[in-house]
Amino acid sequence: MEFLITSALNGVIYGMLLFMVSAGLTLIFGMMGVLNFAHASFYMLGAYFAYTLSGIFNFWIGLLVAPLLVGIIGILVERYLLRRVHFYGHAHELLLTFGLAFIFEELVKLFYGDYPVNYRMPDVLNFAAFNIFGTDYPFYRVFIGGVALAMFISLLVLLNKTRVGIVVRGAERLPQTAQALGHNVPLVFMGVFGAGAALAGLGGAVAGAFYPTNPNMALELGVIVFVVVVVGGLGSLTGSLLASLMIGIFSSFAVGLDWSLAGAFDWVGLGGWARSVGGLLTMSISSISGAMPFLLMLIVLLVRPAGLMGSKN
Amino acid sequence: MRYKLPLIALLMVALVAVPPLFGGGVQYALVNALIASLFAAAFNLLMGQGGMLSFGHAAYFGIGAFAVLHLMQAVEYGGLGVPTVLLPLAGGVAGLTGGLFAGYFATMRAGVYFSLVTLALAELLYSLAPHWEGIFGGEAGLSSMRMPFMGLNFGTTLEVYYLTLVWVVLCLVILYAYTRTPFGRLTQALRDNAQRIRYMGYNAHATKVVVFAISTTFAGIAGGLMAISSETANYSIFSTHISAEVVLYTFVGGSTVFFGPIIGASIFTLFGFVVSGATNAWLLYQGLIFVLVMLYAPSGIGGLIQAHIDQRHRLPWARLPLPYAVLAGGGVLISLAAVFFIQSVEHVFSNRYQTVVTRTGEWPDYHLLGASWDPLSPVTWLVSLVLLVPGVIIVRKAMARIHELWEDQGADVYESETAPAAGGGH
Repeated sequence: MEFLITSALNGVIYGMLLFMVSAGLTLIFGMMGVLNFAHASFYMLGAYFAYTLSGIFNFWIGLLVAPLLVGIIGILVERYLLRRVHFYGHAHELLLTFGLAFIFEELVKLFYGDYPVNYRMPDVLNFAAFNIFGTDYPFYRVFIGGVALAMFISLLVLLNKTRVGIVVRGAERLPQTAQALGHNVPLVFMGVFGAGAALAGLGGAVAGAFYPTNPNMALELGVIVFVVVVVGGLGSLTGSLLASLMIGIFSSFAVGLDWSLAGAFDWVGLGGWARSVGGLLTMSISSISGAMPFLLMLIVLLVRPAGLMGSKN
Repeated sequence: MRYKLPLIALLMVALVAVPPLFGGGVQYALVNALIASLFAAAFNLLMGQGGMLSFGHAAYFGIGAFAVLHLMQAVEYGGLGVPTVLLPLAGGVAGLTGGLFAGYFATMRAGVYFSLVTLALAELLYSLAPHWEGIFGGEAGLSSMRMPFMGLNFGTTLEVYYLTLVWVVLCLVILYAYTRTPFGRLTQALRDNAQRIRYMGYNAHATKVVVFAISTTFAGIAGGLMAISSETANYSIFSTHISAEVVLYTFVGGSTVFFGPIIGASIFTLFGFVVSGATNAWLLYQGLIFVLVMLYAPSGIGGLIQAHIDQRHRLPWARLPLPYAVLAGGGVLISLAAVFFIQSVEHVFSNRYQTVVTRTGEWPDYHLLGASWDPLSPVTWLVSLVLLVPGVIIVRKAMARIHELWEDQGADVYESETAPAAGGGH
């Protein structure tokens, strides 16, 4: 019971974090058709900027300013780099973002070194939110979840209830028509790219203080975020939220389980045979939990490429 | 075309005759360059010919390496009579098998989705391999020794170099010949318009699977050669970095030309060998070069060379050298600015330097390009700007002049650049 509740809590909160980063990625893909390989780099930059700013000023200023800086970088990337190669097609845009991800990682290593930096949450936030089964549950996890939830709600309201949201959704669905109606579609694209980058940056600024902040964080999270976006359906915000929660909960449960395929074979009396075969059959779920998201992504790509909630393919 | 054969013959003579003059370090770098060239050429069969952008080619490179290591272990401990020179075949067979299986699924999708399937497959292998003791040797990986064969004991790097050279040249010849066969033409047609191929009665999916498998076969051979050269491999061979590197090599070299990826791979590995000892920022330079090529020469180095060859009768050769020299001068200025800035940052932000700063509270001068610089003085950081701004202006002027000269003659600068570089779209 303890395992169940703690894992579920941790999973939901990790899922919310995944959502913070994947929201921008899926919006950008839905709108521009660009699978942005550099998106997780924005998450990493957010964490590092917040680290530097919190050292100079304080944690809160870092939390507020870092996403803005990342958003500006995102806008510059869209305006001066992506738009330039747009003419050569989506594959070129993909390759460009891929190169940028490479550069961002190396730049971070250049300035901060190839090891984790000491980015911590302030003491004000370092307390137990509540006590569960005799262990304290850190408030900061709840804080991460809260920020993500606030972000999801404001994004939903912005997209569905405001004029800006209508234009953005229009530009996403029918860019030419939106343009013909007099809306500045390139500006909308630039804004969405910047906002998506800023959201990822916010995710990094919040999460970096709890999880390790190191130059590998973009690569590690990057592939998982791809999984989320594909499983949820490229371009679908609700799908991303569902997939984030699913993968978050799954990975948090998988760490604690030592079931294996051989165990499943026991039920039909083939357990002994499976153990003698070894290899894949005797690996426990906890040891291959890292592989599960990719398996899920493969299945979704092959069976239903539109994902859980995607409409376009 | 007349110059092609003598040029290749000359290159071959150089590849055979020159390496013995150098030490083991250079020979080792050449082995790596050869392997990277083959890997990139195999990758580009899929990308340049078939229009399928794979982000997980490390998977087949790695499978090939592990297959060869298993065979090497069987020779070493089991006394199996496979001569060392034939070992890379095992890598090819493993690459083929893996490619047929993975290709069947991956080619069901096109464009971005294809790339994502290949990425997922490679990541799957990368996350499973460290836990799979029997096949991938767990986290430590597998190691073995090269066994003597017919008087050759493969103890020196030079012998390994010649073994690699023979295999790589052989494979490249086969890969080049492939592009000339009717099936090779079909591959290209598939890239340009898969729908039409289907209407013409070909089985598009089966064709794609075959192309995928041929590409992975040669990637497997490259991996096998890597295993023979380093005698060890672990799960990190499946990592995203290996898949990423081959993408970088191919596009900097130019994916539209057969020799493009080979040029890219050779330049990057050899340059990396020279530079990586001097700086940790080598990968940053690599990334910068890649992005610059993507922005300003999307068809890569090979594409630029090809454009010059295509237009050789129309270009005003007498008037070109001056703007080209000016362009090169501007390029040097920009490179100097970038190198100065990056190396300064590397120096000042390095662990060692920062320790000194926290201990003494002072920012001592550092040495770069034969002079010493004060990190707190604005003059130091202005140096980059002073080099960069004129560099950019010169490059822009020279580029405008070169475009003018090309267009004057009716030569089309973009002719080879507008060709579809990839499947693209979604």
